[in-house]
Amino acid sequence: MIRRDSRGDPTIETGQIVLFTLAAAAAATALNLAPGIAMAWLLSRRGWRGRTVVETLVSLPLVLPPTAVGLALLLLFGRNGPLGRPFYAVFGFDIAFTWRGVVLASAIMSFPLLVRSARSAFEEIDPRLPAVARTLGRGPWRAFFEVELPLAWRGVLAGTVLSFARALGEFGATILVAGNIPGRTQTLALALFQEVQMGRDREALELAGIAALLAALALGLSEALMRRREKTLAD
Amino acid sequence: MSDFFAIDLTLRQGRFVLHLAARLGETAAVVGPSGAGKTSLLEAIAGLRRAEGRIAVGGEVLQDSAAGVFLPPERRRLGYVPQDGALFPHLSVLRNLTFGRPSARPSTDADLAALVALLDLGSLLTRYPRHLSGGERRRVALGRALLAHPRLLLLDEPTTGLDPVRARKALAGIRRVHQELGVPLLVVTHQPQEALALASEVLLLDGGTVRAVGPARQVLLAPGVLAQEGGRRWENYVRGTLVRHHASGGSTEVRLDGGEAVTIPHTPDLAEGADLLLSIDAEDLLLATAPPVGLSARNAVAGRVDELIPVGSSVYARVGPWLAHLTPAAVAELGLAAGSPVWLVAKTHSWRVVA
Repeated sequence: MIRRDSRGDPTIETGQIVLFTLAAAAAATALNLAPGIAMAWLLSRRGWRGRTVVETLVSLPLVLPPTAVGLALLLLFGRNGPLGRPFYAVFGFDIAFTWRGVVLASAIMSFPLLVRSARSAFEEIDPRLPAVARTLGRGPWRAFFEVELPLAWRGVLAGTVLSFARALGEFGATILVAGNIPGRTQTLALALFQEVQMGRDREALELAGIAALLAALALGLSEALMRRREKTLAD
Repeated sequence: MSDFFAIDLTLRQGRFVLHLAARLGETAAVVGPSGAGKTSLLEAIAGLRRAEGRIAVGGEVLQDSAAGVFLPPERRRLGYVPQDGALFPHLSVLRNLTFGRPSARPSTDADLAALVALLDLGSLLTRYPRHLSGGERRRVALGRALLAHPRLLLLDEPTTGLDPVRARKALAGIRRVHQELGVPLLVVTHQPQEALALASEVLLLDGGTVRAVGPARQVLLAPGVLAQEGGRRWENYVRGTLVRHHASGGSTEVRLDGGEAVTIPHTPDLAEGADLLLSIDAEDLLLATAPPVGLSARNAVAGRVDELIPVGSSVYARVGPWLAHLTPAAVAELGLAAGSPVWLVAKTHSWRVVA
């Protein structure tokens, strides 16, 4: 269904955009999950060299202008970039200005949120618990999956939801890496920007409302999970 | 001295270095003040902390840095019981217990049932660790370690934080487990009396080195050890055999391992011939310079003062394996000195049956 504005010009297909936005955010979150948990676990360990450096690098997207991150990604993953060129050579497709760019940009921008939440959950675990699991015959991997991850899962889940919410609204990095191509790379946030630029305030407000609703749902879920975690710990 | 457990290890923690080399038997204790590196030592033995050196248990080498051998913790088969148990909070008591159980063994259900009975865990199985008392947690942790069939139990301060009654119960549980299952023990503790109750050999740590190794009594009752302890309340532990019950007299007769006969409160639930561990506080042992007469106390044992150990503002008199707590005034009045012949006197009800 093609929607038309008050002047009869075609406007953005809202349903398709919402679906694309949700799918891109979900893909970014899925992409982040394993490396995010691994990074969180690593940062929760004390006493290894370079921890502060890694920590800073991971958190950088939280404090940098998103457009700066986007620019860096564009330079790296553009077709002539040092990562984009070999990628194209091996797989035969581009990252920049495709849906993959949207996923990549949202993944990088939301990664620190997942890591921070999961990391504090791992830090709360008594280090003797995985140690005891080792003495009871578990190798390091099984000790992680049977003791550490189950004990940290609420924090991991809360961080996952939070980073999903962040990915939903990603704008600055995405517009640089993926552009704002209707039907191809346009997410809610990008469409909203376009509507405002075109002077269609009512449509823009509608999109903003949908974005707010989605974000509120995700944040509410994250809060609820965190609260249950605190309750479990307080018991 | 047996060499069931042989260790030659150097542990480094920042600037603190602990070096220790010893051969110990199947029930041994490492005694030392807090901060002596006892927990780190257990972690190193369990393979959880890197340390230079060699560790062998029951003839099997777990680690030998010189030969490049380092078994990871999961292959050492050591039953590590951390200080407060460190139970898995997300698992029920039953699942904590069976966590380390080798699934390949057909006998495991019987093992589980026997252990649950032995440690009196039957009513706890469906509960979660956060709803257990300190003593219960330790019992579950002990059971969890035992069900993994360890070749050696490593116990870290098994009674710290428990009140005296529960502490004695915990010691009794550990002794029962040792007697029934024959699992060797290595206990670390800051309480010499706990080492005496559980171990026949003791390694005394002091300032990062081994100060003494040997039979428990010989090491722990040596001059100076108690003084360093700073006058903590001392409980005398002694083993004996139950001779007979005197129901009408409200007492039970026990022959101590040293040959002395003593009467303890009537305990009809213990069988004649049972092997017992008794305890009596140093405060409850009186000294007399003549055989006591006209006294209600039922126990008098003749001995000789081996040494007088001043601790703070009071004095401990060591008489054979016993420590009696005295005031300096009493020592002066009785004219006590090393070598004085004395009678140790105790009330029937001062004795406690630990196990």
